[in-house]
Amino acid sequence: MNAPVITALAIGVLALGAPVILAAGLVARRAVSVLAQLLALAATGLLVAAATGNHGSYDLPVLRTTRPGDHVFGVDLPARLATTPTGITIALSVAAVVLAVQVYAGWYLHDDDRQPAFMATVSLFAAAMLLLVAARDLVLILIGWEVMGWCSYLLIGHWSQRAAPRRAAYKAFLVTRLADAAFVIGIVALIAITGTSDIPSAAGCPDTGACAVPDQGALALAMTALVIGILGKSAQIPFQDWLVDAMEGPTPASALIHAATMVAAGTWVLTLLAPLLHAAPAAQWLLAIAVAATMVYAAVTAFLQVDVKRILAWSTISQVAVMLSPLAVAHSAGQGGDAAAGHLFSHAIFKALLFLTVGWLAVLAGSTAARDLDGIGADSTFAKTVWGLGLISLAGVPLSVGGISKEHIIDIASWAEGGGPGLRQGIVTVALLLTVAATAAYATRAYEIVAGRRSGAGPDTRAPAHRPAGPLVKLVLSLLAAATLAGGLVFLLGPLDPGHVNVALLALSVLLIGVGVLIGWYLRPDDTVPPSRAMRLASRGFGADTAYVRGVAVPVLALARLVAFLDREVVETYVSGPGWGAGIAGRLATWGHTRERVATNLVWVLIGLLAIAGVALWG
Amino acid sequence: MGLILIALLLPGLVGATLILLSHRVGSRTAVGVALLATLGALTATVAAVATHARIDRPWAGEIGLGWIFESDMISAPLLVLTAGISVLVVLHGLRHAPTGGTPGLYYGLLLLIEFGALSTFWTRDLIVFFIAFEIVLVPMWVLIHRFGDDHDPAARRAAALRFVLYTALGSSIMLAGILAIVTQVGSSDMRAILAAPPQHSQMLIATLLVLGLGVKVPLWPVHSWLPPAHTIAPTAGSVLLAAILLKMGTYGLIRVPLTLTPDGFARIAPLLATLGVVGIIWGGLICLVERDLKRLIAYSSVAHMGFVALALGTNSELGLRAALIANLAHGVISALLFFVVGSLKERWGSVDLAVVRPALRETWPGLGFAVMVGLAASLGLPGLAGFWGEFLAIAAAWNPAGGGTALAVAQSQVSGGSWVVWAAEGAVSTELAFRGLAIVAALGAVLAAAYSLRVAKVIWMGDAAPRDRAGDLSWVELVIVAALILAILALGLFPYAVLPSPSGPAVLS
Repeated sequence: MNAPVITALAIGVLALGAPVILAAGLVARRAVSVLAQLLALAATGLLVAAATGNHGSYDLPVLRTTRPGDHVFGVDLPARLATTPTGITIALSVAAVVLAVQVYAGWYLHDDDRQPAFMATVSLFAAAMLLLVAARDLVLILIGWEVMGWCSYLLIGHWSQRAAPRRAAYKAFLVTRLADAAFVIGIVALIAITGTSDIPSAAGCPDTGACAVPDQGALALAMTALVIGILGKSAQIPFQDWLVDAMEGPTPASALIHAATMVAAGTWVLTLLAPLLHAAPAAQWLLAIAVAATMVYAAVTAFLQVDVKRILAWSTISQVAVMLSPLAVAHSAGQGGDAAAGHLFSHAIFKALLFLTVGWLAVLAGSTAARDLDGIGADSTFAKTVWGLGLISLAGVPLSVGGISKEHIIDIASWAEGGGPGLRQGIVTVALLLTVAATAAYATRAYEIVAGRRSGAGPDTRAPAHRPAGPLVKLVLSLLAAATLAGGLVFLLGPLDPGHVNVALLALSVLLIGVGVLIGWYLRPDDTVPPSRAMRLASRGFGADTAYVRGVAVPVLALARLVAFLDREVVETYVSGPGWGAGIAGRLATWGHTRERVATNLVWVLIGLLAIAGVALWG
Repeated sequence: MGLILIALLLPGLVGATLILLSHRVGSRTAVGVALLATLGALTATVAAVATHARIDRPWAGEIGLGWIFESDMISAPLLVLTAGISVLVVLHGLRHAPTGGTPGLYYGLLLLIEFGALSTFWTRDLIVFFIAFEIVLVPMWVLIHRFGDDHDPAARRAAALRFVLYTALGSSIMLAGILAIVTQVGSSDMRAILAAPPQHSQMLIATLLVLGLGVKVPLWPVHSWLPPAHTIAPTAGSVLLAAILLKMGTYGLIRVPLTLTPDGFARIAPLLATLGVVGIIWGGLICLVERDLKRLIAYSSVAHMGFVALALGTNSELGLRAALIANLAHGVISALLFFVVGSLKERWGSVDLAVVRPALRETWPGLGFAVMVGLAASLGLPGLAGFWGEFLAIAAAWNPAGGGTALAVAQSQVSGGSWVVWAAEGAVSTELAFRGLAIVAALGAVLAAAYSLRVAKVIWMGDAAPRDRAGDLSWVELVIVAALILAILALGLFPYAVLPSPSGPAVLS
């Protein structure tokens, strides 16, 4: 059967699953988690089937403004899905992470009375991401993009009885939505250029020269706007701060948002539009500067965190920058897209593993603070293995899945294979190499927190704050851990491009990883003592939140008060004005009529008659 | 023909009878009769629209006046919306009928409003259009004046008076425009006017029509009757105002100036778009600081109707699609929000956002769910009704000259043919200005997110509180909310079902 049709079915299963899960929560609370897991499994199975089907394209019968098959004058929005081997691989990794998250949430939120709402939201979230991955239509991409934003709002704000998640959810949605204004403009501008939202015709536009635009300016504007939107959802500077606060959500939600969906979605969108991005150097420059700054800044900030979940959050920000970087600098559109998609795949695996592991350990410790997690896994080989494997892949050690995709990116960025690099490539390559060392450093610190025991106490006596993880959860962690090693096979055998092995660059990154590990080991802060000033600043994101409030929220609210005042005092005045006028005229008339002096009134009548006569004669 | 008569006369006659006999009929009889009448009207409307029923009889042939009733894909969805919302507002009376007059009067007024609105959407005669447009005013005035918020009689009187005077002023201006067309053409039949559009002073006529209809939309800066009317009106009144009366304004804009005085409309369209965008930002900003939830939703209506105005102002085929779907979307979304806020006001006594109350998510999750669907739809979440109008309006503004013109679509609906692409001759000078408007409108959509989630943060999310099953949605409310949520989803997923199809005549399939 046609692969895009099967993919559409998988999306349908997950999207329709959301209300079904919610409804099931009302009647059979206990059956909910199994139902949600089965739906995720069914979607994964369908995608496996799709992977073996014929690739092609398919126009959805929903989410469109014209009837399917109608000939459209002017702007065509065909709601088109299409599959490619790479696309299906990414879709499968998304589905696998979603399945892992649903299984995990079945345990993690077992006693939470809002578990059905959570799992329903995850299901809808997954449908939105798969829609975005399979879409070859700018409007469908926008739809998946926005629905994910909404689901992330619900997931981050899941524990809405506490003030911090409420604020974090609000902030996450508003920051990304602000950037989405640019994203929407980028999409409508692209549609205006090509007259269709179909991506193959849009993306083929610069090559075929079929675009209606006589100048490059329109394309540059569209792609720059699109890149701004992507910086928002991908939590890149200057929008980075929402993602860190989003750690207030339950850990399975963090795993989902970070690993395979929302923050990685922008990478996929740019991969699809790589030919257009390649034709717009201004947008590439913006992207290059933003990701180069973000990857280094976030990696260093990650090292200084006092909370393990926040280390992972900053690591996501840094890794997404790494993921986006080849798109900004590749010497051909295809290369950049392949490298970016490869790292998207790797990151999905190891970041899901890391989040789910830290969630499990945090349940044992009752907190995600580094101080409380200190040595939590020291006595457990299993914990040390899964955590360690995840961090190895994060640090990009060769042959791990993260290592393969990261080497590919460095290779592309340095243009080692493509001819002469320019300034943009130089900046990004230096940033990448710095990030390699910094990532190794914070990965070392993260490993040491969990596996080492600083306080020097005896065996762990902390009682689990929650019922222990069942075999299913451990199976999920084991499979993900195995995938960080076996995932490399997908690069060798599957559709993902492993790039070329550049021995000199490989040696350089191994060296840098070594330096990073040493830095991480010797400079790691002691979590049992109060944090230093730098760490306190870093854990507040160096005041980015304050900047958002003072720079955007306060001025907008001041403007809103001004407008409310104008609406009340100015717009109202001209409305009430005629009323007062009529009232005054009425009083005057009454006053005139109540006078008893007949003579005066007669004079008025006379004046009136004369006036009428005058007007009549004049005409 | 019979179907249209049933759909119109059932609410009209039953409504009038209920008002005449209002002192004799009890509350149960009144609601039962009204419910049957609205259900009958809904059935007849759907059947009439589906069978493409029409009436065409001369009335005062000397002046070209006729009883011409016909639906097309511009009016059909609005007819069904009107008939459907009318059923829901009557149903809502089972749960909460406001005091202030007899039940017979209350339901009679609701039915008369339905009668007027259905006639407005159905007629193809300009004079009848005007009369039908006016029929709605008086019952709505009485509804606000007699049955409105009973806390403050003076405010009630003021709001009702402002509503009726302001919109009557708008109608008078519109009447001047209509008469100018009719005297030039010698007929008030829209088809006749379409065949021979007015030759003189089209710009002046279009300006009068846009200004007059703009009051009803409401267009910034003639919107200030709306917030007090919405705030004071009983729940049913607010719903009818938002879901149906505002639609009459935008429908009129499409039907009259855009179709009948196209040259004049094309010249003032950029102004219409600009006023729309100012309304988007104006309404959105006020919503950020407004304390009364009902007023807040009223101002959000100003913002949403701003998107409709922007879309119409682009005067393009895409813009017309945007305006039609945004119009319907606002109808169902604002109906849901006003129903739910009405339910909250009934339970809480007021809907002041500054008062700390138990979070809906904790105490009444059913109501909370309904609020969240309404807010999500209001901020333009894709998959729900609100998305398409906003997105397409921005797309149309970015690309105003692209594709066919709105006129081609709108005229094809009246004449019953399929439309042809008109040569894109958009002026380059206005293109840049429209792109500026698109950017500002996109930022306005961010404001919608900010105020919607502000409301969610205040009333939906909150500290833990015990669940109150008994106080949650009653079955009547459940039916209303479920019907509206389904409509919001259907419009979001299948927007093409309510839009004119380019390849054929206007038949609802």
